[in-house]
Amino acid sequence: MSKVLWISLREFIATVCTKAFVIGLLFLPVMLGVVIFVVNLMDDDDFRATGRIAIYDPTGRVTVEARQVLRSGSMEQRLADSVRASGGAFAGAADAMEALDLGPDFTLMQLSADADLESEKQFLLQPPESGGLLALVEVHANAIGPAVENSDFGSYDLYTAPAIDQREMAAVNLLLREAIVNLRIEAFGFDRETVDRLMRVAPGESITVTETEERDSIGGLNFILPAAFMFLLIIGIMGGGQGLMTSTIEEKSSRVVEVLLSAVSPMQLMAGKLFGYMGVSLLGMSIYLAVGLLILASFSLFGLLDSMLIVYLFIFFLIAFFTVGSFMMAIGAAVNELREAQSLMMPVTVMLMLPWFLWIPISRDPSSALSIAVSFIPPINTFGMLLRLSSTEPPPVWQVWLSIAIGVAFVYVAIWCAARVFRIGLLLTGKPPDFRTLWRWIRAG
Amino acid sequence: MEAIRLAAVTKTFGETIAVQDLSFSIPAGGLYGFIGPNGAGKTTTIRMLMSILFPDSGTLEVLGHDTALEAKDKIGYLPEERGVYKSMRVGAYLKYIARLKGVADAVIDARIDELLHRVELPDVGASPCEELSKGMRQKVQFAAAIINEPELLILDEPFSGLDPVSMRLLRDQIVKEHERGATILFSTHVMPQAEDICDHVIMMHKGRKVLDDPIREIRGQFDIGRVLVEPLEADADTSALGGIRGVEAVRLRDGQIVLELADGTDQARVMRRVAQALPVARMELSRPRLEDVFVRLVAAEADA
Repeated sequence: MSKVLWISLREFIATVCTKAFVIGLLFLPVMLGVVIFVVNLMDDDDFRATGRIAIYDPTGRVTVEARQVLRSGSMEQRLADSVRASGGAFAGAADAMEALDLGPDFTLMQLSADADLESEKQFLLQPPESGGLLALVEVHANAIGPAVENSDFGSYDLYTAPAIDQREMAAVNLLLREAIVNLRIEAFGFDRETVDRLMRVAPGESITVTETEERDSIGGLNFILPAAFMFLLIIGIMGGGQGLMTSTIEEKSSRVVEVLLSAVSPMQLMAGKLFGYMGVSLLGMSIYLAVGLLILASFSLFGLLDSMLIVYLFIFFLIAFFTVGSFMMAIGAAVNELREAQSLMMPVTVMLMLPWFLWIPISRDPSSALSIAVSFIPPINTFGMLLRLSSTEPPPVWQVWLSIAIGVAFVYVAIWCAARVFRIGLLLTGKPPDFRTLWRWIRAG
Repeated sequence: MEAIRLAAVTKTFGETIAVQDLSFSIPAGGLYGFIGPNGAGKTTTIRMLMSILFPDSGTLEVLGHDTALEAKDKIGYLPEERGVYKSMRVGAYLKYIARLKGVADAVIDARIDELLHRVELPDVGASPCEELSKGMRQKVQFAAAIINEPELLILDEPFSGLDPVSMRLLRDQIVKEHERGATILFSTHVMPQAEDICDHVIMMHKGRKVLDDPIREIRGQFDIGRVLVEPLEADADTSALGGIRGVEAVRLRDGQIVLELADGTDQARVMRRVAQALPVARMELSRPRLEDVFVRLVAAEADA
């Protein structure tokens, strides 16, 4: 077996067979599980929107109608219909649904026409047990019918107590909306039930058509899938890159490196370490990918994924890993301890941050000029192209392979530069180099 | 055949000239000392020999190759700045180094066992390296350096930090490797160590070679013209010694009489006269030490 493979094997085993690796691998899914568990634990299942609401109502009808809505219990049904009709996009739907679980327990008080609203607002600052208000509502005079024909309808202003719960606020808004809409429909001589039927359009089955197949569409998938693939790519790269840097620093500071260089060339050492950590990263990424695929399969959504996407994920992973990994190794060789590496790591950190900024614009329009440009500019082209590939509008195949070719060429340049810094930096101690010194090493190496 | 050959090698680091116009050769089977004070350029030269650094100018050959990269499996190297993987077990570490040095898998385990016995650490194979003392680690590192039965063994300050017992053990192992047929280049700034082991010395000072001769020739060449006399009686009258022809000065040092001789003085005649002048318990010609030689060379260079 070649020396490079022996080095790779040692790096792989020394990393994978540690508690730190196992804990690191499990950390993310365990943390996600813990967060979901804790959120559920803290969720108040017995929550009930409760409080006194004062209504200044120049129309004289909204308060009465609101009481009727409360009594009828129609809000729950209406909200469920709204959520279905809007495909889940109804603002505050989750809060309102939670608030309506046990039915709100509001006491509505209609203020007299000459009431002083500024004085009434003071009651919002008092606790409920001392007669404090949950909310004060000022209904606009034209809330039910416009003052002038064909002009806009009025609405209402809502003043709330400082400690009001988001769910209570959603319930109050829903109550007022229901009351005002009912009154408007009545004023125009319509029937609420008829209007609801007219307004109700069941969402149609959405099919995504690609060059090769037709498949079920899922709302939000065009954002979630690219993010998931980008996450996999970044997790894989960061884990391996960080390991490469710290292990190089350790070998340098513990003086093992010169012993190794007596047996292998710096290039063999660098290649061996790169391949070793590539294996580590591939293992971690594959485990996360397998979990993701299992989740998709368990929801019968496996067909949503193009199998070529997984192949491209691994190709772009290799390109991004060798780029970032060689940079990280060069940084590790140039410094004496981890603390000194922070400033040199800044460009790499920025490079890994950029995809998060590009995720939304690329996912929203994968064929925009920005998306196309990003997928050809190294070193972020790997992220850009993967985001486009996993979007609902994949790029032409020639663009994918051009991006891969650009990535491979950049890997060659990155390794060439890193090898020069690696060879010089490994045996140097003392003041860590700045970027100008690194450039000098690259030119002199 | 020459194991090592350097011709007009120069290496600089920025403004600092680490090695200047250095030429020397070491025949196969030689046991050479590479000596000089700290900062003389020894480690830089060794790193160039190992192709860890590359010269700015000049050429070098190692075991017949232009670069040690082509002969690393035939070279054993104990660097001055040496370490081990702390969490790795000693046996695993030696096996790893053996594989990197191209030792056949079939013989590795037996070789590790033999070497651990040779350095008197037969039971540490399963211990993590971090549990070893500094001296024990150094022995393990020496074992790693010779695990491939090298044709050329380069040792950079091998005795630093060792206790006298371990130092003697390591010295014996170096001699044993030489007897096996290995060419040995052994660097130290402690000159008596080189004097004790080597049969040839290359002396460096400020990046330049100031001496390259067999120990025996150096002693003849740098004869310091001094006779040491230990009188039989502590209160013996030594006044007559100053009158012997050729004796320039008589000094007392550590209970011994030191006679400084003028250049060209017949040492045998002086020693006969001393024996006639007073009864002596012991009398010998003072042999030049490498430190003395170094001081004389550096002083001569400063004068020039």
